[in-house]
Amino acid sequence: MNKHDPIVGRYVYVPCEGKTYRTYYEEAGEGIPLVCLHTAGTDGRQYRHQLCDPDITANFRVIAFDLPWHGKSLPPSDFYLMEDEYKLTTKFYCEFIVAFCRALELRKPVVMGQSMGGNVCLALALRYENEFSALIALEGCDYSPGWWIDPLHHPHIHGGEVVATSVFGLMSPESPDEYRWETWWYYAQGGPGVFKGDLYFYSVDSDFRDQVHKISGKLPIYFLTGEYDFACTPEMTERTAEKVKGSECIIFSGGHFPTSEDPVKFKTVISPVLKKIIQNDPERRGQDSAALRSNLVELRTTSRNERPTSRRVIEL
Amino acid sequence: MSRFGSRRNFDLEWVERWARTVNEDRILPVIGRFFTGRFMLGVDETEYLIEVRNGKIQRISEGITTNDMGYDFGLKASSSAWAKFAQPVPPPMFNDIWAMAHPLHKQLVIVGNTLPFWQNLRALTRMLSLMREV
Repeated sequence: MNKHDPIVGRYVYVPCEGKTYRTYYEEAGEGIPLVCLHTAGTDGRQYRHQLCDPDITANFRVIAFDLPWHGKSLPPSDFYLMEDEYKLTTKFYCEFIVAFCRALELRKPVVMGQSMGGNVCLALALRYENEFSALIALEGCDYSPGWWIDPLHHPHIHGGEVVATSVFGLMSPESPDEYRWETWWYYAQGGPGVFKGDLYFYSVDSDFRDQVHKISGKLPIYFLTGEYDFACTPEMTERTAEKVKGSECIIFSGGHFPTSEDPVKFKTVISPVLKKIIQNDPERRGQDSAALRSNLVELRTTSRNERPTSRRVIEL
Repeated sequence: MSRFGSRRNFDLEWVERWARTVNEDRILPVIGRFFTGRFMLGVDETEYLIEVRNGKIQRISEGITTNDMGYDFGLKASSSAWAKFAQPVPPPMFNDIWAMAHPLHKQLVIVGNTLPFWQNLRALTRMLSLMREV
């Protein structure tokens, strides 16, 4: 008998801003729709471990799509006529997420995004709070400057290698090598200029510092950031969470790509959040399923004073 | 005091040990095959000239003279920043040269022509990470 992952991949046609995008997505599981947003310049493969985790898919319909330009989703057919370089905007990103959820007829999904997918959760809370039942912002904050830079898309520089290597240090040195290099590979496979174009959203068009206090608090928002994230540091996430009503903030000993760089550790960090989402789901989905007997372990929120003791600190 | 606890740990003998570790590496000749150039490694006020050919270090010098005719790019940081970078498990924000150089952190300055820095980032990152094995 051949071994297969339980993941199923399909294409759905998503209308957004006057164009229709044939959009690739993968899914597994049943229950609360959990729409997963990949990081800049990559694709939904970053969620392959969560898509295959029966403890998660017992209660959640986990869905990871590739934004246009990413993974198996193509750019618009006339991309070669564009008179500006590719730039992801807050408006398009938000509208596309909502349009994708509508195309799949999802009712009050949970959105979990990392990096730029974490930052966009703030815009979703500001603009579309009634569309969702909870938001999980992994490595998210209200302003993450310094990444919309030309070396990431330059004809004299190998895009794949420079893009992938520029993000390698965002991962914890203690995450498993095999998964860190798999994450590196995802980055090396992005189309030319796509990572940089996404970073237009990440570093330029998503400065929410003067807006996040307007988030109503009706929609639960969970912030989770790894301590090795030098693009969105724990302090940046904590400062943001302090301004966002109805939010929780968890700092853990990982990096910027928790779902793919260390899926085992990520499970221990995300499980209490998923458990809370099941318990508080306004639609009461998943309550009678395996929620209570699942292996979604309890984990208390890590405070900044409880950093792991295994790291060597050298006094100079 | 740790082995990185004093300034003299980044003296020329230390740089030589690092350079020999780099030259024994079996991955760099592959990923650094086209990395040929000269860069400056700055530790506090000391500048070391590192001359690289096809991913191997051919020459190191302490101090830069007129006859060196400059270098392609330089990486300057304090000895305490390099000490953190060179730990076996470096602490957050010091585990990577781009992390240290990123405008949010500014623990390392990239000087000179940054084009060859970005062009060779993968090999350079591996090369510098071998400081953790010196």
